[in-house]
Amino acid sequence: MSFSGNVRARRPASPPAGLSHSSGHSTNTSVPSSSTDKQSQRFPHPREEHLDADARRAAASKGFGPASARHGGKHFPTGGISVSSGELKLLFAIVVVACAVRMFRLSKPNSVVFDEVHFGKFAGKYIKTQYYVDVHPPLAKLLITLAGWLFGYDGNFDFKDIGKLYENVPYVAMRMLPAGLGVATVPLAYLTLRALDCRASTALMGSLFLTFENGLITQSRHILLDSPLVFFTALTIFLWTGFCNEDKHKPFTTSWWAWLSLSGLSLGAVLSCKWVGLFTYATIGFHTVFQLWNLLGDLRITPRLWMRHFIARAICLILIPIWFYMAIFSIHFAILQNSGDGDGFMSSEFQHTLKGRGMADTFADVAIGSKVTIRHLNTQGGYLHSHAHNYPTGSKQQQITLYPHRDHNNEFLLLNATQTGASGDPAVDWLAEDISYVTSGARIKLRHIATEKHVHSHDHRPPVSDVDFQNEVSAYGLKGFIGDANDDWIVEIYEGDKRDKESHKRVRTLRTHFRLRHALQGCYLFSHKVKLPEWGYEQQEVTCNKNAVMANSLWFVETATNEKLPADAPKVNYRRPGFLSKFWELQKVMWTTNAGLTDRHTYDSRPDSWPLLRRGINFWVKDHHQIYLIGNPLVWYLSTLAVAAYIAVRGFLILRAKRGYRDFDNTKVVKYDSLCGFFFMGWSLHYFPFYLMQRQLFLHHYFPALYFAVLLSCGVFDLLTSSLRPRIRLQIAVVIILLAIWNFWILSPLAYGGDWTRGKCEKAKWLKTWDFGCNEFHTDIAQYNIAIASTPQKSSVPASFATAVDGNANHAAKESTSAISNENKAEPGKDAFEGRPADEVPVSSGAPGGPGGVVKQEEEKVVSTVTKEGEKEKEEEEKKGPVSAPAAEDKVEELKTGESRKEDVKSVEAEAPKEAVKEAEVKTGEVKEAAKEDEKKEEVPVVKEDEKKDSESATSSSSSASSSSTSTEAAETEAAPKKAAGPLDQVEMEAAKVAEELYPEAVAGAAA
Amino acid sequence: MSSKGKLRQRNPQPEASTSNYEYDQVQEDEHHADIYTSPKSRSGIEKFFEGSQGSIIVVSALTALAFALRFYKISHPDQVVFDEVHFGKFAAYYITHQYYFDVHPPLAKMLFGLAGWFVGFDGSFLFENIGDSYITNNVPYVGMRALPAVLGSLTVPVVYAIMKESGFSTVIAAFSASLILFDNAHVAQSRLILLDAALIFFMSLTIYSYVKFRKYRYMEFTLEWWTWLLMTGFWMACTWASKVNGILTVFCVGVAVLFDLWDILDVRKEGHTMDYFYSHFLARAGGLILWPFIVYLSFFWIHFRVLTQSGPGDTFMSPAFQETLAGNELLMSSHDIYYYDILTFRHKDTKVFLHSHPDRYPLQYEDGRVSSQGQQVTGYGHNDTNNHWRIIPTKSLPETGRGRIVRNNDVVQLLHMPTNTLLLTHDVASPLMPTNQEFTTWARDDYTRHNDTLFKIQLAWDAPENEPFKSKSGYFKLIHVPTKVAMWTHPKTLPDWAFKQQEINGNKNPSERSAIWYVEDIIADQYNDEPADRDEDQRPVKVPKSMNFFKKYIELQLLMFQHNAGLTASHPYASGPLNWPFMISGISFWTDNDTQKQIYLVGNIIGWWTCVVGLSVFVGIIAADLLARRRAMDPIPDSVRNRLWNNTGFFLIVWGVHYAPFFLMNRQLFVHHYLPSHLASALIAGSVLNFILSDTINYPISYATSKTRLRPSQYADTGFKGLATVLGYGLVLFMMFIYIAPLTYGTPGLTGEQVNSKRLLSTWTLHFAAKKTHDS
Repeated sequence: MSFSGNVRARRPASPPAGLSHSSGHSTNTSVPSSSTDKQSQRFPHPREEHLDADARRAAASKGFGPASARHGGKHFPTGGISVSSGELKLLFAIVVVACAVRMFRLSKPNSVVFDEVHFGKFAGKYIKTQYYVDVHPPLAKLLITLAGWLFGYDGNFDFKDIGKLYENVPYVAMRMLPAGLGVATVPLAYLTLRALDCRASTALMGSLFLTFENGLITQSRHILLDSPLVFFTALTIFLWTGFCNEDKHKPFTTSWWAWLSLSGLSLGAVLSCKWVGLFTYATIGFHTVFQLWNLLGDLRITPRLWMRHFIARAICLILIPIWFYMAIFSIHFAILQNSGDGDGFMSSEFQHTLKGRGMADTFADVAIGSKVTIRHLNTQGGYLHSHAHNYPTGSKQQQITLYPHRDHNNEFLLLNATQTGASGDPAVDWLAEDISYVTSGARIKLRHIATEKHVHSHDHRPPVSDVDFQNEVSAYGLKGFIGDANDDWIVEIYEGDKRDKESHKRVRTLRTHFRLRHALQGCYLFSHKVKLPEWGYEQQEVTCNKNAVMANSLWFVETATNEKLPADAPKVNYRRPGFLSKFWELQKVMWTTNAGLTDRHTYDSRPDSWPLLRRGINFWVKDHHQIYLIGNPLVWYLSTLAVAAYIAVRGFLILRAKRGYRDFDNTKVVKYDSLCGFFFMGWSLHYFPFYLMQRQLFLHHYFPALYFAVLLSCGVFDLLTSSLRPRIRLQIAVVIILLAIWNFWILSPLAYGGDWTRGKCEKAKWLKTWDFGCNEFHTDIAQYNIAIASTPQKSSVPASFATAVDGNANHAAKESTSAISNENKAEPGKDAFEGRPADEVPVSSGAPGGPGGVVKQEEEKVVSTVTKEGEKEKEEEEKKGPVSAPAAEDKVEELKTGESRKEDVKSVEAEAPKEAVKEAEVKTGEVKEAAKEDEKKEEVPVVKEDEKKDSESATSSSSSASSSSTSTEAAETEAAPKKAAGPLDQVEMEAAKVAEELYPEAVAGAAA
Repeated sequence: MSSKGKLRQRNPQPEASTSNYEYDQVQEDEHHADIYTSPKSRSGIEKFFEGSQGSIIVVSALTALAFALRFYKISHPDQVVFDEVHFGKFAAYYITHQYYFDVHPPLAKMLFGLAGWFVGFDGSFLFENIGDSYITNNVPYVGMRALPAVLGSLTVPVVYAIMKESGFSTVIAAFSASLILFDNAHVAQSRLILLDAALIFFMSLTIYSYVKFRKYRYMEFTLEWWTWLLMTGFWMACTWASKVNGILTVFCVGVAVLFDLWDILDVRKEGHTMDYFYSHFLARAGGLILWPFIVYLSFFWIHFRVLTQSGPGDTFMSPAFQETLAGNELLMSSHDIYYYDILTFRHKDTKVFLHSHPDRYPLQYEDGRVSSQGQQVTGYGHNDTNNHWRIIPTKSLPETGRGRIVRNNDVVQLLHMPTNTLLLTHDVASPLMPTNQEFTTWARDDYTRHNDTLFKIQLAWDAPENEPFKSKSGYFKLIHVPTKVAMWTHPKTLPDWAFKQQEINGNKNPSERSAIWYVEDIIADQYNDEPADRDEDQRPVKVPKSMNFFKKYIELQLLMFQHNAGLTASHPYASGPLNWPFMISGISFWTDNDTQKQIYLVGNIIGWWTCVVGLSVFVGIIAADLLARRRAMDPIPDSVRNRLWNNTGFFLIVWGVHYAPFFLMNRQLFVHHYLPSHLASALIAGSVLNFILSDTINYPISYATSKTRLRPSQYADTGFKGLATVLGYGLVLFMMFIYIAPLTYGTPGLTGEQVNSKRLLSTWTLHFAAKKTHDS
């Protein structure tokens, strides 16, 4: 693939005389094959190879272009397949080695590792066909699901925490998929290098570099998306290389079309694995533009022919990938037909298409006296809702919220506020009147049917959005009370439906979007993505906003029934969105969710640290084993070095060219410039865009770029050794490969989660910034045999992984509790008050009432209820943790509180759907068990933190997680930047303490 | 502008000396009517306009109109508007010599100060709130507003001159100038005490100077060449010194110079030697890096010279800096601290006192973690005896004398006076942050935890080893000796059990910038007496110390940079860069409810969209030219193409460099950040109009020497149609300007319906709109 833009080189007018081959295909193919046939070696004899290069050089000096016939012809397009039998054997051997390296003890560990939490879970969702939302496109997850489904995964295992033991999950089969794709990447690299006219020894080196790259190994051994991503990236590059060779030889042949369309398909696959695939798309795109630009400059190509080139590429590289991408999504939608925890992200129309979320047809007309449910248009907060709980602030009247689920507390009676009929009560009057529809400008009251109160607003500040221009909205009134003018709202129709003319003039169910203006205050009924605190069950806040943003003050009627309407009155329902609108909506949701992933994670890193391999990711720690994602230092640094070298040399060459040196007339320079330039472009496009991303980034985001960098380092190697004798070149390659394998060997226990000793681990810590916890390991390898038998409490260790930040503190806290419980048990803290200076309390507490008293009470309460409260908290947390979608969370939350307040409140909430109740019961059951266990082990806080961490790292549930975040979480987020200073020590110290508890002798021994 | 005069002075000379070249004369006398002997016959009108008289009349008319539009009702409103809150205040500080801190460099603000001083402003009014009346406070605000209005008005002739110098005809130059002249956004921005008018004025002068410099490129290293090089550097420095965004102008000249040098380096084009290249490189490095930097620094030098009194900016600076300010609190009441003194400690950022009280941490927090149940240590905002701590030594002390002074890096214990307990931290998670260590206290007579009560006083700002620890100025970090955490607090309050006081915990990152504390007061010495005077230098009157200018400058520049990056809070009228060229949304500067008057920063929408069209047409032209040349076609004559690429291309660089970086910024962005780019796009629009109207340009316009290659000369012929187009278009612009003018001048008041009709785009969030619409 010529990068030089050397047009003349494209198609030599005629081959120079005296060369052994002509431009004919037959000779072209026969030359390499005959040369290889002569030898029975595994790959072309190096000497032969060397002569080839010489021959090429000779040819070039006679004006025969470097990128032309001999190797650019039929040989390379089919190069992947038609390599000589010797090379095939070599390739086979490489694949066997790669298999061995990637698949070794794939079944270990037998518990959930890192993001298997998510991707395993999503596989379960597919199998159970429950709708979910994730930030990544579905292809890789579908493949994983396929593997799981074929081997009998039933979707019941929940992949809740890192370190959870697998039960009834064919996790090995599921891991086999990424592992298999990881293996397949290796020969692809070989073939790509060969197709780019590198020597066999170089290609061998490249493929072995990738085989023994610890990071790629680690990543491909688990149920994660990056291995498919890297595979498809490699496949795309290989296919594209093949296409470029074809293109140089002869365009518009059948094989030309095949390579091109396959490239397009593969591009689609990259895109469908992760959006990072867009970078691969950009790489191919830039190169295509470059090709077209060169074609354009070739005056022998007519505009017509150029257009053919252009259109062929446009079809295969734009339409085919998009088609493929959309096809994957159509499979996604076809599978996920049932309601699941992703519903809450989607619009009402979308939800309507999911089973279990559908809605019966409802009357189209809305009239005075209609029983309606009103939905907020812009947020997925749900229905206008009220329940028999009051605001603790402001007016202390009954709450009005948005509630995402159907419930009879969402029902309101729509009444006319202007007419004072015979009885004076609008709720009665309408029965006597003729049916009158709600038009724009109508003055209405909304009566909450269950509590017989009206939606009301007044000059109090709302509980959360405490600003001047917002008013509280409450439910006010009592049975028989006709209400006051603050209950009156004026309907302003914003827009109707195009196909329903009536809906512009009067309110029609589902079709009319309207605003409700408060008649006296002039503010608009408004809601936004702000949640009420616990007392409001974390439902969405509803206010009356004087400066309302249009989108957030629009409402529509979802259901309406009216006694006066005949049964055969026209009915409506949500319009079922077509595939395209569903597809587009999901893309937008994915985009916003993705952009919202800005929380910090303990092991996240910024792009500048990647090329230098400053830090890895702790995947899993358990039973004195650890899996930590870290690259092979030799491979990694060589690749980075190659990138730097390319930049330096290329810059130097440009300057030289500017001063009139004719370096670019040298075919060798041109060849390696185009080769390395292509890889460099791939590397840059897969690396630099990350600087623009504000979201959480991890080391594994560098892998596609790493692939290019490794190939680039091979290109550089090929260049540096091009003038050496083949034998010496091979020897150098072998030495480097052996060094790489040695590097791999040193760090391999971290990739496989294997046995290791603390001493070896410490020695392997070549950079101070590598933060794997060495104290996790035994001091002596022999201890592994004993240890596994003797320690049944497995769950005690993993905590140190995810809680590496706070693990230390937690642990210390535990210690000190025990210490304090010994020393201070007798003293509940009362003595402290006697010494209290009087002047201190009032100012600082700010609480009404006598200073000492209040504090004392509070203090006592704290002390006396510590255990119970604590347990409750735990239960709550336990419940909250696993539920990721905000909707489901609300459900559980509301139900739970409903239960707990049964005595003092007519539990309205408890009448929610029965399934939900069951779910909640099941949950509480689990929680109780968990709590019991926890009492024994005192591990709760740790486990819970662990969970939270996951949910933070989570890709899918992050938005909900962050919105429901408690103070701790926030605190953690804040603290995240600082922790970088000491995570090493923390992990170590924590691990040391654990070790000390379990093996005091061993520690003592080590110390001695 | 000296340039004009000089030009005209020089005119007779070349006629005499370098008359060997016929076209040379022609170029030198561009403004001379007689010389136009264009092959194409010109109409009388055109001849008149292309002549120097015509040019002067046009530019005078434009300038006069600019002054009229910018000074019209400049006294309205007589209230503080928008950012006048800041910049008016800063001007006042210059007059009262009080030190302040701002993220923007000082030049424009100093000019405001100067203007204020000139019109007799005494600096007593501090522009506290938007809407404060100038009349009741006796502020000569019109004089201060006149400064940006003058600069804004002068921008118009500069734009005209840029186009003229670039070789476009008078008509085209007038077109570009009128895009700025009739632009509501430029007018609104330059009628108020804001920095942008100065920024844009200096920026346009930079462009002008650079264009002039480029025209002298064949006369390298002559006096004119050096003059314009240094002028470019000077105006560039002024731009940068007016506002932080001015750095973009520096970048943009930098990019242009790189292109320039790249051409000189090209051996195929001119065949210059490397020595030649180096001399050019060094000249530009000197003229465009070193010299502007000196200018820039000199503004800071003046800044520091003027602001000698203590003021609101003190607290941003280091103690050493503060002590250079007269009347500074540190200077006045900073005392050495002796062991056994009773002190109160205060956190620098949140201003809370280190506090403790007998209440204990609850056994278990809400999230289930457990505490040590030790005595609470919190941050408390008010004065209280519970804030009193005694500083206890860990080494032996002499009986009396200066040996008892606490010094940097001393290890000490802190005794909480009311409870007689020692401050302690240990490896227990703090209540709110599981990552940080809990602070508590320990009984004084219990030595079991002695080591955990040891803290090191580490003075901030890299103080020397034996530096005495002083009250007020002694900013320090308290580092726990065994665990190396720094005592730290953050604005988040603890729950009710700690009376909503602030949490204090141990931050594991000892280099954390916000972990800085200082001693607020010395309550008593070891005998519980008032501390007697104990200062090193017993000066009767505290004289401000001096400090190296460069140290001061570096400190201030770093702070400015940090604070600029920190401006990320959202603002209701902030908008994304993508909206700007299309004038999607404006900024509400000021409203008056009674009269329904408002000032809303919004551009002349016709003008802005013309600029966008011009930009896209230009990009289209060069793209088409690239493609055509790739196919070996040559649709555009060389002279025109040269102008398009080199001159209009430079304007495009100006536009891009002043615009694109905003996409990368996370700080608050407003539409007025686009104004410099808008000016550049107006230049491009003029150039594109010329391209559409005419096949020719005035060419060549660079001053030639005897060595310059000869090129066939030609003349711009926009003809009568050009004049008509520009006049007609100018009229349309003016009408639109008048239509939006009530929003620009804030007068007269508008009824709801009028507001609705002025709301040309639904995204403009005007006030007092009639209720009929959907937006409020």
